Amino acid sequence: MKQSEASARVLIAVLCIGVVLVPFLFWKQTPMIRARMAETGGWSPAVIRARVGEPLHLKFTSEDVMHGFAVGQMALAAVDIEPGKVSETTLTFQKPGIYTFYCTRWCGPNHWRMRGTIEVSGAGSGNPEPASRPLYVDLGLNLDTPHPADIIPVEKPSASRGQVFLSRVPDPSTYQSTGTYRSHSPVQIFMDLGTTRLTDLQRWDVVVAIWAQNTSAAGLADGKELYAQNCAACHGESGAGDGVYADTLAAMGAESQVGMSGTREMSIKKPVNFTKPDLLGASPALLQGKILRGGMGTGMPMWGSIFSDEQIWNLVAYLYTFQFK
Amino acid sequence: MNKFELTRFAFIKAALKNRLPQLALIVLLLAGFLFAIVAGILGTPVGNRNFGIVFVWIAWWAVLILVVVPFLGRGWCAVCPIPVVGDWLQRGAILEPVSKKKTRLNLRIPAKFRNMWLQNISFILVALFSSVILTTPRVTSAVLAALLFMGIGLSMIFERRAFCRYLCPVGGFIGLYAQTAPSELRIKDKNVCAKCNGKPCYNGSQLGAGCPWDVFPGGLTKNTYCGLCLECMRTCPYDNIAFNLRPFSTDLEKPSGRMDEAFKAFIMLGAAMVYAYVFMGSNGILKLAAYHIFTPAWFAYAAGFLVFLLFFLPGSFWLTVKIADVSLPVSGRRFASASTALIPLGLMFWAAFSLSFVLTNATYILAVISDPLGLGWNLFATASLAWQPVLTSLVAPAQTLVLVGGLIWSVRTAQKTAPQAGVSAIPVAAYCLAASLLMLWLLI
Amino acid sequence: MKVKRHQVYLFGLALLAGMVAFAPMPFTGNSQPTVRTFRIEASQFAFDPGEIKVNPGDTVHIELVSMDVVHGLYVDNYGVSVTADPGQTAKITFIADKAGSFRLRCNVTCGALHPFMLGKLNVGLNTWLYRSFGLAIIGILSSFAFIYTEREKQKI
Repeated sequence: MKQSEASARVLIAVLCIGVVLVPFLFWKQTPMIRARMAETGGWSPAVIRARVGEPLHLKFTSEDVMHGFAVGQMALAAVDIEPGKVSETTLTFQKPGIYTFYCTRWCGPNHWRMRGTIEVSGAGSGNPEPASRPLYVDLGLNLDTPHPADIIPVEKPSASRGQVFLSRVPDPSTYQSTGTYRSHSPVQIFMDLGTTRLTDLQRWDVVVAIWAQNTSAAGLADGKELYAQNCAACHGESGAGDGVYADTLAAMGAESQVGMSGTREMSIKKPVNFTKPDLLGASPALLQGKILRGGMGTGMPMWGSIFSDEQIWNLVAYLYTFQFK
Repeated sequence: MNKFELTRFAFIKAALKNRLPQLALIVLLLAGFLFAIVAGILGTPVGNRNFGIVFVWIAWWAVLILVVVPFLGRGWCAVCPIPVVGDWLQRGAILEPVSKKKTRLNLRIPAKFRNMWLQNISFILVALFSSVILTTPRVTSAVLAALLFMGIGLSMIFERRAFCRYLCPVGGFIGLYAQTAPSELRIKDKNVCAKCNGKPCYNGSQLGAGCPWDVFPGGLTKNTYCGLCLECMRTCPYDNIAFNLRPFSTDLEKPSGRMDEAFKAFIMLGAAMVYAYVFMGSNGILKLAAYHIFTPAWFAYAAGFLVFLLFFLPGSFWLTVKIADVSLPVSGRRFASASTALIPLGLMFWAAFSLSFVLTNATYILAVISDPLGLGWNLFATASLAWQPVLTSLVAPAQTLVLVGGLIWSVRTAQKTAPQAGVSAIPVAAYCLAASLLMLWLLI
Repeated sequence: MKVKRHQVYLFGLALLAGMVAFAPMPFTGNSQPTVRTFRIEASQFAFDPGEIKVNPGDTVHIELVSMDVVHGLYVDNYGVSVTADPGQTAKITFIADKAGSFRLRCNVTCGALHPFMLGKLNVGLNTWLYRSFGLAIIGILSSFAFIYTEREKQKI
């Protein structure tokens, strides 16, 4: 065989094999976290291991739609994960434990199920804090019983007016303390105020004043942003339970009930309408409990591992504005 | 004949006869083809960021339909990587066939398949599944790998380039539209061929293979089936093969009158119109029907697609010609010859349709070369280039130019070919006008 | 210089074609520019409504509501765009100072058919389309005129 023929064969063989092998080798040794909608796989891998104090460098790509990455209860800016593009971030953990990471851009009705864990091993600084019991547990509240409001304000109450009346009430501190605010529903406070000589509207004013005292402009802004990013897609931008997924959730629930013979209360249903007066029958502790624990099959996500207590109190405070504003 | 022979220039003739330039391009494209398959499998499943999808359906397609086919006819076939490994295995060598002994089966394709019908079917199959193929990297890889497998496989069983000539879905329309190109490969002098013994251009010799396209170069009068592989240029002992420039659509002045080619013209025309309606339109339900294959909605879409291409378009053409002269029998050869005008029309429809998405998505090409596998590379610092349509204000005027130009071209063709079919050019022109107005409305 | 008849015809047709393509059309409708608001729902893979119509000069206010995943809205030729997450309506306002038909495109990859997620903005009449129709008709007439004059030439 001529020299030129032999060289041609070798060159072509090397090129063709190389063009297949080289990409494969690069692909094999590039660690990547692939994000997909929960329905088609969610996070791959969904469990990441790390060590305390060692920087954890993560590379992400989305395989379908826009996603995002954040770690629950860690003050870390969310990283957007664009389809087909690669994003990176580096985390360092100070304490061992199991952290939850989650998707931050709505990617379907099951977006909230798109979660994974980071198992951080090693010795942390200081003693581990014991987990505190949520307030609703201490109060012995049943999160799933209905909480109707027997009486509601006929006019919009005013916090500034209520502030004045509150100061005239005997022993205002019992009403406005954080403990009271959190453990009493607005209706309960209204009823408790029955011992005073205020009119109904004035009593509602006081209720709103107590609410206003237990939050702040910054807190409400935080709550509003949390609501817009996490709740509005189902509960609606106006809180009326008419979010973009409301119909999908109702359909999912109806489908899941076909052939079911048992109880239907805890099946997927249309998101709660916060503009209905029932909200006034729920205490902040109850709302915090629902947010922490989730809906036990109703489609309401559990946020316990994602948001800090402060974030949830801010969100709860914001929820009442659907009634007060 | 106003032909201009390019191979009169020694450097052009030498460049074409020398195997190395063509081979270098072929090998590069073969490597790129294999890389596209690998990228489709290992790379991101997001189509617009995957090398396979972007380089096959945007970059390669744009160059093919806007430049290569209109000007070089079957120029792509000259460098296509799909059959080459099969060629090398058939010949037993890459640079020159050494032994004449037949080590392969070299069967002849049965006569009933020696036409364009299989290519009509393969193109329709690709077209029916195109919304999945063009958007899903793994499926594009599967299709490319299947074409490669069939190209090589058929070469092991049959003689010459059986896949290219009779099966390749791209080859069908490239061949049909090659007739419109302003370039051609032809013999210089018939008398030289008459005196030639052995006809190495068809049978092969030490210098090269016999025509892989099963064409006798001495009798070549149209571009349709010549793949510009240039083997005959290398084997002809009398230097009787030339590459010429000539006026556009010279080949269409004598219609072939073949039904398989006529149907290819209707299939291409119809596919361009259906794609313009479904993919460039605002109807999401229709797009999902085209995408969710094997659902009832898709079957309805597929039925509509097939009826439009295979019955409505040919049927309405037949009716139009018939109405113009009811007493005239319009059948077979007459029908096919009359439909010759649809060849340049179809080419321009495809060019106009392609302009809609090529200029809009060209920036994907720049982004994907920096990170072809979606692993986070940034080879040319363009990986994070945002999508941005380019030259948007030129797209509509360009489409108008192409479609109106195509209409004039097809009417001129009708004026030359309809009389040869014994029909008036006017109904054919009216049909072309109606189709053009519809396509303008769909795209602009 | 003797000007042949067919040259006159062709020149006339070319002039007509030029006018059809470029001559400014009389401004149809004396509508006062107003503010028009549209709520567009984006889902995989279409906009609803798929086509919106305004008059030239109107202020266009679009509220983009994403119904399933993150979508974007990009207006061809205007180059303005906005992105909406489900649950967060995004707003965009611009003045429709260019007349014609412009495609609306999704500019956030939202799934397989994302490149074909299209809508249309009609600002006034789609005059370019009508000009194109005119050019097509002139084109076909020119072809017949050309053949006619060629035959005339041969008769002489």
